[in-house]
Amino acid sequence: MFEHEDDVVQRVIEQLRRPVAIDPALDARVMEVIAAPRPPTRAIWPWLAAAAVLVSLIMWRPWSRSFRVEAAAFQFVLVAPHANSVSLVGDFNDWDPKRSPMRTANGIWATVVQLAPGRYRYAFLVNGVEWRADPGAPAVPDDEFGTPSSVVTVGGRGS
Amino acid sequence: MMLALLLVAAQVGAPALIQDPRLDRLDPDTRVQVSTVLDSARRVGLPTEPLIQRALEGATKAAPGSRIVAAVRRLSADLSVARIALGGEASAPELEAGVAALRAGARPQVLANLRSARRGLLTVALSVLADLVASGVPADSAAVAVLALAPQARDADLVEFRRAVERDIALGAPPGAATSVRVNAGANVQSAGSNPGAQPRPRRP
Amino acid sequence: MGIERVESSDAELVRRIRTGDIGAYGALVSRYRDRLGRYALHMLGDREDAEEALQDSFVRAYRSLARCDDPARFGAWLYGILVNRCRTSGARAARRRRMFVRDADALHGAARADQSDRLEWTDAVDRALARLAPESREAFLLKHVEDLEYEEIAELTGAGVSALKMRVKRAREQLQRYLREAEHV
Repeated sequence: MFEHEDDVVQRVIEQLRRPVAIDPALDARVMEVIAAPRPPTRAIWPWLAAAAVLVSLIMWRPWSRSFRVEAAAFQFVLVAPHANSVSLVGDFNDWDPKRSPMRTANGIWATVVQLAPGRYRYAFLVNGVEWRADPGAPAVPDDEFGTPSSVVTVGGRGS
Repeated sequence: MMLALLLVAAQVGAPALIQDPRLDRLDPDTRVQVSTVLDSARRVGLPTEPLIQRALEGATKAAPGSRIVAAVRRLSADLSVARIALGGEASAPELEAGVAALRAGARPQVLANLRSARRGLLTVALSVLADLVASGVPADSAAVAVLALAPQARDADLVEFRRAVERDIALGAPPGAATSVRVNAGANVQSAGSNPGAQPRPRRP
Repeated sequence: MGIERVESSDAELVRRIRTGDIGAYGALVSRYRDRLGRYALHMLGDREDAEEALQDSFVRAYRSLARCDDPARFGAWLYGILVNRCRTSGARAARRRRMFVRDADALHGAARADQSDRLEWTDAVDRALARLAPESREAFLLKHVEDLEYEEIAELTGAGVSALKMRVKRAREQLQRYLREAEHV
């Protein structure tokens, strides 16, 4: 692999690969910085920036312990009185029927999912075999797999 | 400490063309072809997550491999077009929404105009544009409506606008007319009131 | 920050973070800090600069997490952020005179009295590394110390694979030469 002239280089590599000690407090510093609220970065005039910060502080209440990166809870509902099982599948859960099974009461199936900002196609899988779009949501016309889908769009600061 | 480092090394030091384990749901042949598309997309800086989700959708729906590959390729190409229209800084959700708008019939220039007309992320605005067309509004009318609202309306207002138009259409209004009536009336619709003290209720699509 | 199950993959953690679980980012930080810290330290040659670059990179990665298209490859993406951050830091630091030498024993935990030979060697290595041109040092460290493939380094740095191979080759030759010189001093 290495000729003998390269032994020096090999020793250098071994030397450099040895672990180095990083300040243990670094992790805490990172978490502290990211958990702190940020003022908006885009502002044309200083007063506009100040107003925006004020508004965002009031709306988002960073002093409460539940301050989070913006993700919203969405409820999905399907009326299917004769179904034995209904799953919600979509771009937010890898289209995996096992991830978001829905619960039923009186034939109304529902589940709540946390969604970060974005646009997601989804559908309901009934009894493991039948695909249904969400009657209460915009449809997705370009369906390439021959089954109906719906779409949900989540706005907000995400990127 | 050494063990932790070895574990970390094993994870990070792996070669670049690492497979996303979720793609194991595809048959080997399809997986290879999809991975090729993903690598090309990655190389030009396009987001791969939408492509992966499209492949997984096909897998769950038991679609034939060739259809899955075709869908992923088409999406990759469309993402590229969306990025040209929206600019290189567009986020992945913006690009996905841009693709939806383009496929709904919006011209690339409309996307570019939207970028100039509106500050912040365009994800919702583009989605509303696409969704309006899906409800039956002609693409040009939808574009005019969204561009008119773009400078001032908040995302929540745009969503409410879309819902209001859909209600009007359901009640029998011609789709093209439904949008212009709403825009001309200066529909500054209230979004669902925020009550900062209360537990936020889950929203609906 | 809590203890994460070993099986939580990067992709899972990223997904959780995106749905609001800030704490899950702590797991990613602990997963990558030592390795990335090693690169930063060797690249910049100064502990303070390295830790600052590392901290900045973690913060920047968190804030632009939505732009990480491939959560399963979070590590590589994070590397890219750090590599770029080190380039800016390197440019700033080049205007200051830097001494690698003094920190050697603190860095490697060597007991001075018994390991003077090792100290001299680590000093020599650090000095030789510092003499390489930044692009060569970067390529050499990413390839031989961080074990990345050329294709991956190409993605991170924007350089072509053949250019990178040249830089690594040059780095190896120069390191050999500098260390041979050091032996004869």
